[in-house]
Amino acid sequence: MKFKKLFNRIESIKLESVTKSYGDRFAVRDLDLEVRGGELMILIGRSGSGKTTTLRMINRLIEPDSGRVSINGANVEDFDPVRLRRSIGYVIQNIGLLPHLNVSGNIGLILKLEGWDQAKIRERVSELLNFVSLPPKSFMDRYPHQLSGGQQQRIGLARALAMDPPLLLMDEPFGALDPLLRTQLQDEFCKIKKELGKTIVFVTHDINEAFKLGDRVAIMDNASLVQVGTPEELIFEPSNELVSEIVDSKRKYRHMEALKVRDMMQSLDSGYFLEGNMPAEIALRKMVDAGLEVAFVFKESGTVGKIPLNEVLKAGNTGKSLNDISKSLLVFPADASLFEALTQLKEEGESMALVLGGEMPVGLLFSDRVLQGLV
Amino acid sequence: MVISAEILQATLEHFFLAYTALLAGIIVAVPLVLLSLYSERLASLVMKFSNLVQAVPSFAVVAVVVPLIGIGFTPAVIAIMLRVLLPIVKNTYIGLFNVDPALIDSAKGIGLTEFQIIRNVRLPNAYPAIFAGVKFAAILANSIAVLTALIGGGGLGSMIFEGLTNFNTAKILAGTLPVIAIALFLDFSFSVLEHRLTPEYLKNET
Amino acid sequence: MWNGGCLSEIPIINDVLTEVQRVWDTQLLSLRTLEHLYMFTIALFVSILIGIAVGVLIYRSPKLADPVLNGLNVVETIPDVALLVLLLPIFGIGAGPTVAASILYSILPITRNTYTGLANVPREYVEIAEALGLNPGEVLMRVRFPLALPLIAGGIRIAVVFTMGVVTLGGLIAAGGLGAALQNGIQLYDMGTILVTGAWVGLLAVILDGGAGVIENRLKVRYGTWS
Ligand SMILES: Nc1ncnc2c1ncn2[C@@H]1O[C@H](COP(=O)(O)OP(=O)(O)OP(=O)(O)O)[C@@H](O)[C@H]1O
Ligand SMILES: [Mg+2]
Repeated sequence: MKFKKLFNRIESIKLESVTKSYGDRFAVRDLDLEVRGGELMILIGRSGSGKTTTLRMINRLIEPDSGRVSINGANVEDFDPVRLRRSIGYVIQNIGLLPHLNVSGNIGLILKLEGWDQAKIRERVSELLNFVSLPPKSFMDRYPHQLSGGQQQRIGLARALAMDPPLLLMDEPFGALDPLLRTQLQDEFCKIKKELGKTIVFVTHDINEAFKLGDRVAIMDNASLVQVGTPEELIFEPSNELVSEIVDSKRKYRHMEALKVRDMMQSLDSGYFLEGNMPAEIALRKMVDAGLEVAFVFKESGTVGKIPLNEVLKAGNTGKSLNDISKSLLVFPADASLFEALTQLKEEGESMALVLGGEMPVGLLFSDRVLQGLV
Repeated sequence: MVISAEILQATLEHFFLAYTALLAGIIVAVPLVLLSLYSERLASLVMKFSNLVQAVPSFAVVAVVVPLIGIGFTPAVIAIMLRVLLPIVKNTYIGLFNVDPALIDSAKGIGLTEFQIIRNVRLPNAYPAIFAGVKFAAILANSIAVLTALIGGGGLGSMIFEGLTNFNTAKILAGTLPVIAIALFLDFSFSVLEHRLTPEYLKNET
Repeated sequence: MWNGGCLSEIPIINDVLTEVQRVWDTQLLSLRTLEHLYMFTIALFVSILIGIAVGVLIYRSPKLADPVLNGLNVVETIPDVALLVLLLPIFGIGAGPTVAASILYSILPITRNTYTGLANVPREYVEIAEALGLNPGEVLMRVRFPLALPLIAGGIRIAVVFTMGVVTLGGLIAAGGLGAALQNGIQLYDMGTILVTGAWVGLLAVILDGGAGVIENRLKVRYGTWS
C-alpha cells in the first residue's frame, strides 16, 4: 500500500481561537473546542451558525483565517490535505454518492486509488456492506439512483469507513431522511458506534438525535460556541436562554420541579432483597439462579446496602457475609422531588438510588434512564 | 473592374436567394409550430422528424431537389428553405414548450385563455430560443445558397464552382471571400441584435 | 439479391430495384461508401481527440476558454464550401482538405461540450470527492470527466452530423465518397443516380446519428435522472 495513515488513534482534536469569515460576516468566530479521543461530539445550532464550517476546518476542506486546528497535537496545516482526508471519514447529507459509480465503485474509490487489487477491494466492500446491514450480493452493482434514501446513506457511511479511519466527520447524515427511517438509522448507528470505537464529530439540527447519540454536545450560535457539555449538563445547567431553548428544557422540564421520584423510578421486585448475614457463596448461587446483576440488603443501621454481582464473585469462599461487602446506597422517599434527587445523585457521582415508599423499598432510580425518559 | 461588377451582381443574387428562402422558411415554420402547440402528438412528430432530417447532409438535400422539382432559382429556394425550416421550428418549439409548468398553471389560475397564455407567457419566454434559431438559420441559408449554385441557383456559388472547374484562383476567391464576409457580418450583427433585444430580466440567466 | 422474394413481383417495386441495381453498379456505390466511411472515421476520430484535448485544456486554463471558443465559432460560421475551397491551397485536392475541413468544423461542438461538461459538474460531487481525499488530477479524471461524458457524447453526436455533411461535400473537390456520385448525378442530369445516392447518403447519416444518439442516451440513463 502506498499510503500510511497519518494517525491510527485520536488522542484529541483541538480547535484554538479558530476564525473564518466570508466578506465581513463571520462563519466561525474565535472558537475553542476540544474533542477527546473516542467520544462522539455533537455540533448543534441554528442554520447558518457555523457548524459545517467548523467541521470542514478539521479536514481542511476550509482553511481558517486565523487560529489553529490540531489533531493529536499536530497542526493540520502541516499535513498534506489529500493524505489528511484519506485518514478521516466524511459523511454528508443527501447526494454524497457519485452518480456515475455503482455501490462498490463508490465504496472502493479510495481503495482503488490506493492501489488495492480488485479482489481485496471486493472483499472489503462486502465486509463494509454487511456492516451497514446491506446484503452485498444485491447491492454491490447498483447505481446510486437505484437506491432508497436510507440505503444511500448507509453506503455513504460504508464509504467513509473504507480506509478504517480513526476519525469520522458527519454532517447531518440523517438530515434528509423521513422521521421513521431516521430513527431506525439512529438506532443502528447507536449500536455500531460502540463497535466502531472511533472518534466522531457529528453535526445535527435535531436535539433528540444529539442526546441520543452524543457523548457531549457543543451548541453553536451566530458563529460562536455557546456551551459544551454532556446532555445532563446542558439540561440542568444551561448557560443561557438560547441553550435552554435549544435543549427545550423550558417546555419539557418546566414541570421537573413538580415531578416526584416515584414518577420516574423503575419498580423493584422483592426478589432483589437478601439476608444481610447470608454468606457470599450462598448469595452467589441465589443470584445466578435468579439472574440478578445486583442485590440489596437491609443493614442493621437501618440503611440499605447494594451488592453488585462482581463483588459477590470476588468475595468467593472467604466466608464474608453480604453485610461485609455491601456498599452504601443513596435512598430517596418516593415523594421526594425528582430534581433534588437527580442533583444529589450527580453530586455523589452515583448513577442509581433506592426509592422507599414509607418503610418499604418500592423502586430504583437510574439517572440515565430518567434523562432518556424525559427527552 | 469587370470582375468587381460581376462580384457585386453575384453577391446581390446570393443575398436575394438566401433571404427569400429564409423568409419562406419563417413563414412556413410559424404556422407549423403554432399547430403543434395544440397537439402534443403532432409536436413530438415534428420534433422527431426535425431531428432526423437535420442529420441528412445538405448536399444530399440540395441534390435530391433536382429530380423532385427541377433546377433553377425556385428549386434552389426550396432546397434552402427545407434546410432552414428545421432549426427554426425546433428552436421555436423548444422555447415554447420549455416553460415552467408552474408559470402556466398560475396563468391559468388568473384566468388567461389558451391563446392569451401563448401570447403572453409562452412567446415571451420562447423569444431567445427563437432568435437563436433564426440566427442559426440565417447563417445556414448563406452556406447552402453557395451549394445551390450546383442546381442553377446562381450567385456567388456559381463563381466558386466556375473557378474550381477552370482552376481560376481569382474567381474562386472572388466568390469565397464575399460569402465569408457575409457569414461573419451576419454572426456579428445577430450577436449585437441579440444583446440589444434580450429583455433585462433574461440577461444574467445565460 | 434484388431478384428474390415476392416483392419483386410487383412491377413498380421491380422497376425501383432494377434502377437501384443500375446506379449501384455504374456509380460504384460500394466503393464510394467505403471511401466515404473511411474519410468519416478518420475525421471523426481526430476531431474527438483534438476536441476533447482542447476542451480539457481550456477547462484547465479558463483564460483561454473565451478566445478559443470564439475562434472556433468563427470557423463554424464560414460556409462549408468556402472552408473547403480555402483549404485547397494548403492540402491540395481530394481527401486531404475534406478531412481537414470536417475536423475544423467538428472540433467546436466537442470542445464546447467537453468544456461545459467539465465546468458544470455539480459542486457537491466535486466537494465530496475532495473530502474523500482525491487530488485535483483524480477529481478531473474520476469525477468531472465521467460526469461530463453524456454531454461530451452529445457533442460527438453533433460532430457526427457535421462530419457526414462535409465529407459528402468532398465529392465536389475530387475526394471521392458518396458526394462524388451525387456530383456525377447532377452533372449527367441522371435522376436515378441523384435519388438513389441521395437516399443512401441520407439513410447512412440517419443511422450514424441514431447510433450516436443511442450511446448518448445510454450514458444519460446510466447516470440516473441527472442530465
Ligand atoms: N462559501 C461561502 N461563501 C460565503 N458565505 C458562506 C460560505 N460558506 C458558508 N457561508 C456562510 O457562513 C455561515 C455559516 O455557514 P455554515 O455552512 O457553517 O452553517 P451551518 O451551521 O452548517 O448551517 P446549516 O445548518 O444550514 O447547514 C452562514 O452564514 C453561511 O451563509
Ligand atoms: Mg451545514
